[in-house]
Amino acid sequence: MSQQIAFTILVLLAAATFGVLTWRRLSLIRFGKAENRFDHLARRAWDMLLYSFGQKRVLARPFGVNHFVIFWSFLILLIANSEFIVSGLLPDVSLRLLPDFVRGPLLLLFDVVSLLALVAIVLAVVRRLLFKLDTKYVKRRSVEGFLILAFIGLLMVAYFGIHGSEIARGQEPLKAWMPVSSLAASLPGDGAYGSYFWWLHAVVLCAFLVFLPISKHMHIMTAIPNSFFARLDKPNTQPREEFAPGNTYGAGIVSDFTWKDLLDSFSCTECGRCQEACPATATDKALNPRQVIHSIKMNLLANASAVKAGRQPAVPLIGAEGEATNATEAIWACTTCGACMEACPVLIEHMPKIVKMRRNLVEMKSEFPDELLNLFENMEQRSNPWGIAPTERTKWHTTMEVKDFVAGETEYLFYIGCAGTFDSRQKAVTVAIATVLNLAGVSWGVLGKEERCCGDSARRLGNEYLFDQMARQNVEIFTSRKVTKVITQCPHCFNTLKNDYRQYGLELQVLHHSEVLGRLLAEGKVKPNRQVTALGQVLYHDSCYLGRHNGIYDEPRRAIAAMTGEAPVEAPRNRANAFCCGAGGGRMWMEEGVGERINVERVGEAISALQAGPSTVCVACPYCLTMFEDGLKDKGVDNIRVMDVAEVVAEGLRPSLN
Amino acid sequence: MAEDKKPIKRPRGKAQLTEGRCLACGARCQSACPVDDCIEMDDAGSPVIDQSKCIGCVKCVKVCPAQAIDMFFTPEERAILDQILAERGAEGAEDPEARALARKLAEYRGVWVLVEQTEGEAAKVSWELLGKGRALADTLSVPLSALVIGAEVEHLCSEAFAYGADTAYLVDAPAFRYYRTQSYLRAVCQLVAKYKPEIILMGATGLGRDLAGAVATAVGTGLTADCTGLAIDDKRNLMQTRPAFGGNIMATIMCDRFRPQMATVRPHVMQMPDKDPNRIGTTISETCEIEEEDILVKVLETIGDRQSHNVDIAGADLIVSGGRGMMGKDNFAVLQELADELGGVVGASRSAVDAGWMPMDRQVGQTGKTVRPKIYIACGISGAIQHLVGMQDSDVIIAINRDKDAPIFQVAKYGVVGDVLTIVPAITNRLRQLKAAGSPK
Repeated sequence: MSQQIAFTILVLLAAATFGVLTWRRLSLIRFGKAENRFDHLARRAWDMLLYSFGQKRVLARPFGVNHFVIFWSFLILLIANSEFIVSGLLPDVSLRLLPDFVRGPLLLLFDVVSLLALVAIVLAVVRRLLFKLDTKYVKRRSVEGFLILAFIGLLMVAYFGIHGSEIARGQEPLKAWMPVSSLAASLPGDGAYGSYFWWLHAVVLCAFLVFLPISKHMHIMTAIPNSFFARLDKPNTQPREEFAPGNTYGAGIVSDFTWKDLLDSFSCTECGRCQEACPATATDKALNPRQVIHSIKMNLLANASAVKAGRQPAVPLIGAEGEATNATEAIWACTTCGACMEACPVLIEHMPKIVKMRRNLVEMKSEFPDELLNLFENMEQRSNPWGIAPTERTKWHTTMEVKDFVAGETEYLFYIGCAGTFDSRQKAVTVAIATVLNLAGVSWGVLGKEERCCGDSARRLGNEYLFDQMARQNVEIFTSRKVTKVITQCPHCFNTLKNDYRQYGLELQVLHHSEVLGRLLAEGKVKPNRQVTALGQVLYHDSCYLGRHNGIYDEPRRAIAAMTGEAPVEAPRNRANAFCCGAGGGRMWMEEGVGERINVERVGEAISALQAGPSTVCVACPYCLTMFEDGLKDKGVDNIRVMDVAEVVAEGLRPSLN
Repeated sequence: MAEDKKPIKRPRGKAQLTEGRCLACGARCQSACPVDDCIEMDDAGSPVIDQSKCIGCVKCVKVCPAQAIDMFFTPEERAILDQILAERGAEGAEDPEARALARKLAEYRGVWVLVEQTEGEAAKVSWELLGKGRALADTLSVPLSALVIGAEVEHLCSEAFAYGADTAYLVDAPAFRYYRTQSYLRAVCQLVAKYKPEIILMGATGLGRDLAGAVATAVGTGLTADCTGLAIDDKRNLMQTRPAFGGNIMATIMCDRFRPQMATVRPHVMQMPDKDPNRIGTTISETCEIEEEDILVKVLETIGDRQSHNVDIAGADLIVSGGRGMMGKDNFAVLQELADELGGVVGASRSAVDAGWMPMDRQVGQTGKTVRPKIYIACGISGAIQHLVGMQDSDVIIAINRDKDAPIFQVAKYGVVGDVLTIVPAITNRLRQLKAAGSPK
């Protein structure tokens, strides 16, 4: 009887503390800005099943299976633990009320699952001891990790202790269903230890409950809803802003984020997969995507009272580096490659938060790296990043016959993009694409001097005002020229025309040149005249905005294979996990003074994947092309060439000499 | 009004392209043309004029930088024109509007140069402009005046005389110690209203660019920034020449309906005149009613950027730049030697700066400095677009590179294909020999 009272008090205290702590935190989410994540409920439910209960992303990494075991053990043992609490409060109510043919298999399941969980916990402890994964995290939080593992381990041990004792004392008629507990029953002491284990279980369970909301283990409550509310499309674009007097732009304080951003911060499991994938973190930049998410949570908690009262928070969101603050250098270091989001097992959206903070810096504070002043001016005044005279857009027309796009007469608009128009190296790619299109009899035309920059860099850099202006102008041109099908040369233009301009009501059929070439080859519209052998081994590097952001992986590979006769060599990190060249997100236009250069790191990876001797890195993006060529020069490598997919195809279509 | 009294309609003519003169400047005629589809551009960038649509507005003729478009009259029209000319005679040749304009413009006389000063020290560009202003004033037969604004700056007036000014307008008050747009704008506008100069020149410096734009807006006249050439045409108008379209063409800009005509000129563009300390002139002191309290902007502190060891590549006339092809830090000594012989400075491409071969402040290009020297010698620089945009407006580009296909050769006037480390020392040696031979024994 006294045990029952003591237990009741313990459970009530723990439950109350749990309730208060959880409410204090999660109730803050409602102070975020509105965002609609309640559409397509069926698809959302399916995503939740797949990513939360199916643990799809978790299992994508080798050790993920360990988490899978612990997760499902937790779910199954939820029944056993509920019974433990209920029968502790009301001794007459327990699973023993169930018929034996139900309880027997359940007991077997509990026994097996508890053992599996215990093994998984031991493995996790060993892994934490052997591999120190956390060296780059601003604050190593290993103690927390060990504590949680200890809690779970103790619960499993206590479970076996309790049931072993019952078996030893002959109180368990269904002991045949409980192989592991029976083993525990053979311990000396004839089950007298039963009540110790019972209290151990009770205390650890309650302690766990209290610890849960204040630790990263919060994710057991938030990760499942978070995967339900995750973005349904790929996060390859940012929302529009409404420009009006009195509005504020971007996220300068924590309550500028949306409720989903805040939920994200509570869902982080601190697993570190984003930081492992991040090109900026890998090259010692100030940015660590995990820390960005963590900082939002800490900032929200530190400023809780101010946020509730609608006052200006005391702890800054952007400023010097701190646990609850993001350094500006970190915000500018992002290449928007999206690797962090691809890696995150609970579908947190890191990159959009970084762009929101950039917007605040650019649009509210006019604070950005010096180099960008030039870029913004050039894009605004001359509609290209270099500030070259717009009349020079047609200079490359001297190399071949180029027709203007006329709706009804020409099928495709070939949108060349700034690099393809002005950069002498990239002009060669433009000519290669145009040549292949001509050979295939594709009807295409250009906008010529009327073509303008798509504005990708401006948007990713948070200069939404400039992007808005450029997008409107472009949409106006596309609409008035009645453009419906576009081939782009650059994956950044591709993404902007396809995904960003949709927000302006422009629905285009946009194709990247590598897609077009891949299809023309597959359909037999063009046939290789020769097998391209002079390039040596060919490695294909995925552009982030083509691959990860838009899911185009196979067409360029097929195009290369059609020409060289074999599938391209893969870099160790490829396809959805490919490593950025370092130029996305406007990084192309900034200095990279800290740590190793991202392109050099990627070039090193490519070199390691290629055999010695002359070989080729094949890309599909002007930025990647520049970054690879520069990186190879930095490394002093002169027997690896960098070519665009289109150039490889054009090479294979060249009429043979004999 | 009776119909029969209506004078003969003056034929307006049709625009016509003179073959071979079009520069393909970028369809300025087309954009100037008020009629839809009257001017279409062909593939070479030359206009094709549909004369049936031409209304004879002359806009394309005026806008053409190459005088490639003229008005064409049929023989009948020409006869009418001659008739009108004969009827009106010399007296009636100009319409009353033009006469009124001429009268208005004639009220403005004299050439002014703003003497820009910081803490009592004049910017060199002001003296350069006095040199040019002297020539303009002599052509116009008007006095050249210096505009001196500041606090305790009277000594600058006598310096201005030494550099060629005839008069100096002096505004000397404590409120003008530091440049503030508000106060300087008021002083200049007041003087302009009182003395009505026909030309005002300022240096294209931070101060000059700010003040010139403000003054032009306030007095309602035109301004041409960054001129590289100034001259007077036969109607006393200032012909202001500056590069346009990324340096592809030189545009001559006129301000023929408003006065004063205003232009800014970058430092080192005009030649420094000789100083004649014996020259004297008249100083006219003016007061301008403005007190420190009225000025909204306060100067708290002046932070100098004159670190003696820092080389300003943006202002240099001759730059010898090195890139990745220099192979190492030590090899930049070779470039320094050449730069020393030529009186220039050493610049670098981004890769050379990244490699730590040169300091950050020497970087030329998109993320470094934009330079526009008279001579730019690119050594071992392949010429990626990021670099080109920082130097392609240089007057003469000389490229030295091993790779004959390097894009740098597309913008270079002279190219040398070969090893930088043998070619550059060879040039330096030759220069030394020439100097030794040329110098008196």
